[in-house]
Amino acid sequence: MKNSFDEKILEEANDWITTNQKVVLATVIQTWGSSPRQVGSRMIVNEKGDFSGSVSGGCVESAVVRECIGIIKENKSFKKIEFKVSNESAWEVGLACGGEIAVYLEQIN
Amino acid sequence: MKLETLKEIIKKKENKLEFAIVTNLSTGESELFEEKKPLSKNFDKYNDQINKFYKSKKNGVIENTDIFIETYIRPIKVIIVGAVHIAQYLVDYAKSLNFEISIIDPRGYFASEQRFPNISIINKWPDEAFKEIETNSNTALIALTHDPKIDDPALQHALKKKFYYIGALGSKKTHGNRCQRLRDAGFSEDEINSIHGPIGIKLGGKSAPEIALSIISQLVSETYKK
Repeated sequence: MKNSFDEKILEEANDWITTNQKVVLATVIQTWGSSPRQVGSRMIVNEKGDFSGSVSGGCVESAVVRECIGIIKENKSFKKIEFKVSNESAWEVGLACGGEIAVYLEQIN
Repeated sequence: MKLETLKEIIKKKENKLEFAIVTNLSTGESELFEEKKPLSKNFDKYNDQINKFYKSKKNGVIENTDIFIETYIRPIKVIIVGAVHIAQYLVDYAKSLNFEISIIDPRGYFASEQRFPNISIINKWPDEAFKEIETNSNTALIALTHDPKIDDPALQHALKKKFYYIGALGSKKTHGNRCQRLRDAGFSEDEINSIHGPIGIKLGGKSAPEIALSIISQLVSETYKK
């Protein structure tokens, strides 16, 4: 039995849209190796960079927020991004756990 | 994703329907898939692969395609017998989990809507209440009254219908007496041993929220063993 959780992110996305916010939905679509969140995990971002939910354990959320704001500014409808293992000594975005994830971003319109 | 698709997803979730969201990652199109309903022509050529993936209840990208599928299963039905203090915390914890809670308690002063807003409360004795709820091996029971008059008929129903999780509150002594009553009623040792009693995993706490946490932890753990 899968999905014994329901984080209600889609319901929250609808609430944001009702209050005239632009919303990009980010979904984990693939994982390789040890990744913090499973396929189907979700996060939403608005044009101001407010976000809810998660696609990792805090490792790549800042980059996802930036990408989502970019999508809203350029009025794109979707984009796929991948994150790989990070260099632990550098202040860069990546997955310290050594896994890789692919995240699909789509604007709700 | 189109706003109308999002609204349709939320509606289907509210109505406790099983479905999947299929997305073409190279075109950005998405639509909802339901068993025995035809897909649009954009997705139709993947119909067999989508069906196969859907049946395994997994999320992921279908091999050698750009199709991502996310399946939604019906929430697991959890029946709580006893609208007691612990039940109020169980309802809180269950909010972020995929559990649909119903509460049975014939004692009206416990099962009030003020104590349990937005929860299905059946203000009847278990034998009568179970006539209103469809139950099967996907259902869970949490018996909290430790009153044999109320808990026992619910436990017997759950054993007969082979619920995947049955837990009963009470001390070792209370549970021992309960097991003897079930034995007298003709239930086998295997059936009786399938009851989690005393209920919950050992956390050490004794307050209502702590007991509720220990019960919900055990329930999640048993749900993944199914």
